[in-house]
Amino acid sequence: MQVDRAETLRYLGYRGQEIDEQTQQLLDEAAAELERESLPKSVYQEYPCQVEGNQIIMGNFTVTSANLAKNLKGCEYVVLLAATIGRGADFMIKKYSVVNIAKAAITQAAGAAYIESYVDEVEAKIRQEALERGLYLRPRFSPGYGDFPLECQKEMFEILECSKRIGVALTEGNLMMPSKSVTALIGLTTKERESCQMKTCMQCEKTDCEFRKEESGA
Amino acid sequence: MNVIERAEKEILFFDGAMGTMLQKRGLQAGELPEVWNITKEDVILDIHKQYLEAGCSIVKANTFGINPFKLKDKGYSCEELTAQGIKLVKRAIAETGKDAYAALDIGSLGKLLEPLGDLSFEDAYAAFCPVCAAGEQAGADLCLIETMNDTYEIKAAVLAAKEHTSLPIIVTMVLDENGKLLTGADLEAAAAMLEGLRVDAIGLNCGFGPDVMKEFLPKLREICSLPIVLNPNAGLPVVVDGKTSYLVEPEEFAAVMKEIALDGVSILGGCCGTTPAHIRALVDSCKGIAPLAITEKNRSVVSSYTHAVVLDDRPKIIGERINPTGKPRFKQALRERDLEYIYKEAIAQQEMGAHILDVNVGLPEIDEVEMMRQTVTGLQGITDLPLQIDTSDVAAMEAAMRLYNGKPLINSVNGKQESMDAVFPLAAKYGGMIVCLTLDENGIPKTSRGRIQIAEKIIKEAEKYGIQKKDLLIDTLAMTISTGQDNAEITLEALDYVRHTLGVHTTLGVSNISFGLPQREKINTAFFTIALSRGLSTGIINPGSGAMMAAYYAYCALSGSDSQCSDYINYLSGQPDQPKTVPSGTKEITLFEAVVKGLAASAGFAAKKELEIKEPLDVIDQALIPALDQVGQGFEKKTLFLPQLLMSADAAKAGFDAIKEHLKAQGDNSESKGTIVIATVKGDIHDIGKNIVKVLLENYGFQVIDLGKDVPPELVVEAAREHKVQLVGLSALMTTTVANMELTIQMLKKELPECKVMVGGAVLTQRYADEIGADFYSKDAMGSVRYANELIAKP
Repeated sequence: MQVDRAETLRYLGYRGQEIDEQTQQLLDEAAAELERESLPKSVYQEYPCQVEGNQIIMGNFTVTSANLAKNLKGCEYVVLLAATIGRGADFMIKKYSVVNIAKAAITQAAGAAYIESYVDEVEAKIRQEALERGLYLRPRFSPGYGDFPLECQKEMFEILECSKRIGVALTEGNLMMPSKSVTALIGLTTKERESCQMKTCMQCEKTDCEFRKEESGA
Repeated sequence: MNVIERAEKEILFFDGAMGTMLQKRGLQAGELPEVWNITKEDVILDIHKQYLEAGCSIVKANTFGINPFKLKDKGYSCEELTAQGIKLVKRAIAETGKDAYAALDIGSLGKLLEPLGDLSFEDAYAAFCPVCAAGEQAGADLCLIETMNDTYEIKAAVLAAKEHTSLPIIVTMVLDENGKLLTGADLEAAAAMLEGLRVDAIGLNCGFGPDVMKEFLPKLREICSLPIVLNPNAGLPVVVDGKTSYLVEPEEFAAVMKEIALDGVSILGGCCGTTPAHIRALVDSCKGIAPLAITEKNRSVVSSYTHAVVLDDRPKIIGERINPTGKPRFKQALRERDLEYIYKEAIAQQEMGAHILDVNVGLPEIDEVEMMRQTVTGLQGITDLPLQIDTSDVAAMEAAMRLYNGKPLINSVNGKQESMDAVFPLAAKYGGMIVCLTLDENGIPKTSRGRIQIAEKIIKEAEKYGIQKKDLLIDTLAMTISTGQDNAEITLEALDYVRHTLGVHTTLGVSNISFGLPQREKINTAFFTIALSRGLSTGIINPGSGAMMAAYYAYCALSGSDSQCSDYINYLSGQPDQPKTVPSGTKEITLFEAVVKGLAASAGFAAKKELEIKEPLDVIDQALIPALDQVGQGFEKKTLFLPQLLMSADAAKAGFDAIKEHLKAQGDNSESKGTIVIATVKGDIHDIGKNIVKVLLENYGFQVIDLGKDVPPELVVEAAREHKVQLVGLSALMTTTVANMELTIQMLKKELPECKVMVGGAVLTQRYADEIGADFYSKDAMGSVRYANELIAKP
């Protein structure tokens, strides 16, 4: 797996400027080092899914969220997923914040791109496994999106044993460390029509976001 | 006979999984198993008995998840659940009449330690203490620290166990498929630290079944001089209908475990998915196998949180530059607690090829213990090289050894009784290799014989503490040849004898040899080469000296320790352009151009050139500021993007540093434009945006007080008041932490109504910023500079 160059640039707020040799070199170096220093790991488990009003019941895990309920309505199953690229990115960012702030910013962006690529890869595997059973995926949905409370991270972490299995822990404020980590729920449905391929970025309500993907194209 | 003594005579067996058994008995996901010690003690008791009947000799108490974090708001104390957990094991042993040991089972806290996480080392330590104390009190026979994946957390747990019990300690860790801990640490690093801490046995558990775990065994046996423990899962986890299952059957499990026992593992058992049937099969299959004798591997090794550095026939470089001696700029950094300065020295030395970094932060006028604490903690987030803790202050030494994530080098002990009495007990407790100076109450012997005698005395004294020769590094003291013709030979003769006759590794502060002579590097280099060929194991040198590093690589190539001369060739090809002279291809570049193009090395050089002919203020006004403005405008017009802005910022910083140095040399301390406090708000740990703002503000002449990340509102108010600032900058990345930003603003507005607040961060918008009462919303890094300039710098 390689760091996605276009995504890295997008996270850096790139708008087609000319990239000089210096900048190019920095981008290449940061990406290469990040690939070397990362240890991608993931864990996911599937549960039966039941949506009642705003309540989603997944085994013993119950969440109240209108947005998530909408996302999972009609799904027979839901996959709980956690993934990380490990501590490398965080250490690089710390180090380069001291000696090379440009490289720190690039590493930050490249790390964000890298974990997204990795989650996409894991999701592709889940999609394949689901397809074999005649199931289709809804877009993934993470704690903190819309009204899906970030506090739910705690329970997800216990269920998935994130600390033991992939080395990710929560801070007091329920943020994940290593920071380049993702948790998400993915609904599985038998109805292909109700599955959805819209990229998660476009679901975000922050329409004036600097990093928002362009509507056209992809 | 304690469990370890017995393991030398016969193979011992841990029991199998507790969690798996409890799930079968109705434990729900997310439910705390240890509460059952009280609510369903019959079930726990029954499980223990089943394992005892199956033939296990060590029973893990149901105490794995007990810690203050997991028990928060659960209505039970760590002490009562622990005591009850041990009591149930004891009862099961008594009621079955078996000869078995009760293990206090200590698991991970499930939190990440600093520098990446938000749990401090001492808080982690404190979390383990009550469990350890209660466990021994209730009658545990040993501490099993298991399912660990972070060496730092292991160290906290081991220290808690050592300081609150007198029990044998066994540590088992989880590896990933690459044979590393989840922190990226390799087995050698972990084993080095654990042997240094003098735990009684080490090994692996969880993660894999016996087949995969077996693959890691040869490595472990090669490096480890302690009994080995293996508690694998019944294979890899498989999720069936939302339930995690393990599918390796007892016979299959036992068959591989038997091979493992024959390979020399003396304590075996099971982890997730194993049942009494697995343990029974295991015990049956190992009947008649005697444990292999444990052999001493005699490895001289230090470690960091990621890797070990082994002292062998290939010499190693210890970077000497983190040391204030003779360095006014470094002393100033220490007085100002400018840790960044120290970090830069560390990163530079690592890039130049150092294997270990010496850390000396002693100055008479500072609190060395606190400074050492902060420096070691900070360096562990910046560099993965092992550290050499260099201090004569025993309290500072202990503070650093305690906090150090690995097995450190300690600099130093000497032949004085007082010194040995102080340092050896620390080394015996925390582990470490120790630099031993061959001097004593009578000073430095003038003969090699005298120095050898002191070396022998130190070796003997160390033995009393169980510190073996392999953990000593003898310094036969390089003394300048400007005061004595024979000085070099005396040092070298002693060095040669220590290394080759006594069989102990050696070290030298190489550059002392040339003190008082002109062009010292020439002497240093020659002496270094000679010393290497006479048996120098580690040279304490300045890796910034190209000549010394070249001598080192050349020596390694010549002495046959550099296969195909590949390191030598790599070294030459990897030589960065030295900015000491003009960077290649940039001969005519001006300071203005260097900043616009983002060339830091050239900018520093160009600034020095311009300072030769211009006043410092003119250099700033005519080159640095116009260049920064041009780049800033380009960024705002989107003709440049963030990395380019930041490269220019770093280049400008190099220019400003040159000017500051120039002014300091003239005794001038220029005033800053004004002071700004910045912080990432409480609960938020993503601070790169704030760091970017800091660099830019500093370039525009502001003094920035950076409070860091996860900063409570009170601290922000306190700092703003103390420094009498007009402006505070706050950043927050998450929606959830914007609430804390609002709280901070409210508190600031109440306490310091004159103070303005600017905010920024990924989730913020102008509207959001208005809602929480901020005075200014900075949509990007340049915005903060513009606002600060308007507010503060208006003439």
